[in-house]
Amino acid sequence: MRRIIRKWIPIFIATTSGLLALAGYLFPDTGLSVYRDRLVEWAVIIGAFALILGVFNVLRVHGQRILESGKGQVYSVVLLVAALVSFVPPLVYGPTDSLTRGMVDYVITPLGGALAALVVFTLTLSAVRMLRHRRGPSSLLFIVVVILTLLGTTPLRGFEWLSEIRSWLVGVPGMAGVRGLLLGVALGTVITGIRVLLGSERPHSEF
Amino acid sequence: MNEFLDPTTWALALLLFSTLVLVVLTILYRRRGTGPDVREIAAFQDLRDQLGRAAERGKPLHIALGNGTLGGSDTVSSLAGLQVLEGLIDAAVAYDVAPIITVGDPTLLPLAQDVMRRAYERNQIPESYDSSQVRFLGPSALAYAAGAVPVGAPEDVTANVAVGTFGSEVSLVADISDQHGRPKAAAVDAAEAIGALYPTTDRLAVGEELYAAGAQVTDEKKYTTSLIAEDILRFILVLAIVGTAVVALVGG
Repeated sequence: MRRIIRKWIPIFIATTSGLLALAGYLFPDTGLSVYRDRLVEWAVIIGAFALILGVFNVLRVHGQRILESGKGQVYSVVLLVAALVSFVPPLVYGPTDSLTRGMVDYVITPLGGALAALVVFTLTLSAVRMLRHRRGPSSLLFIVVVILTLLGTTPLRGFEWLSEIRSWLVGVPGMAGVRGLLLGVALGTVITGIRVLLGSERPHSEF
Repeated sequence: MNEFLDPTTWALALLLFSTLVLVVLTILYRRRGTGPDVREIAAFQDLRDQLGRAAERGKPLHIALGNGTLGGSDTVSSLAGLQVLEGLIDAAVAYDVAPIITVGDPTLLPLAQDVMRRAYERNQIPESYDSSQVRFLGPSALAYAAGAVPVGAPEDVTANVAVGTFGSEVSLVADISDQHGRPKAAAVDAAEAIGALYPTTDRLAVGEELYAAGAQVTDEKKYTTSLIAEDILRFILVLAIVGTAVVALVGG
């Protein structure tokens, strides 16, 4: 009985839901699209519950660190205080209030921008490190392509030909590579999807 | 002609043909009793060695599963990340160095926790399971990367392993390993992440190699069989593309 509940029922639900949603996409003119939409709605609702679970996970991990006086507990205190304070404006004034929007516009967005800028430096640093540790034709080619693409993006007077080189690099070898990647990813997705539908891949089941 | 080019027909044909290839291969290898040999991918090959090093040092691995969701277009990448986790978790629990797993989407959190909990149950030490080993860091890509940096600090973990959906922000996680010359491995399918990781490591699985994770880190035949099926389909696809190009060229 335990085996039926923990193995076969999840497989049955997953396979039936998967096939129904897939059929809804393949044959949208039939009544199946109604069931597909309903299933997708349920998935969104469950996803929202997962977010609550995620918040509790953050509270638990950092709360535990504070209680155990672990490394970086000061940061955990700041994180928890910030997390709890950020709940107040949307709960009291609503999600569209200027205070709530201000929190996003003046705190979260600039922080995101700062991190994005930091990514540029880490990328540059990693390219320099590669030249130091992994010298070879492929590394050299990588660096040359990066430099040409970057220079081609800058509006340098008298160097308009760089922009043409950049366009060719992005449009021909770049696009060919990305298409190859996408085809491979699509095949991998199809095969894994079939495994889930056939019940061979069952992350949702106990056995 | 229009009916021939109908996307639904193509999608159905691809699905049915892929299923057929997979089922035929599964039956074939089951009859033979032995699994197929698969090519080795460097990114996954030394994961077990790194796990051994983690046991020696008493510091776990950090497995970053990225911002992939369950239910979105990146579901399969997320499942591939979980396959890596499933392949390593039993040995890690047995060595008493359960990895720290970070996720950037809460839908992946219960699934990763479940994989870990089951491993503790299989090792008959369910009381040692600590759900906070799986951590949700933040719902945006940059917030996740910023949160993953301190988790992957070299003084706390042996190596960083990034498997799943990432963008260029993954370089923040790779950088923390680079600064201290610590090992790292990555398997990603997005072009931005590949570009960001290429200079940092030669232990990089790109594109569809991510979906070979199960075949590389576990001995399960279902993964090796599906890898062979993928190879067959890719070969047919390449032939079709080249054939179409030749026909178009000849036909003017």
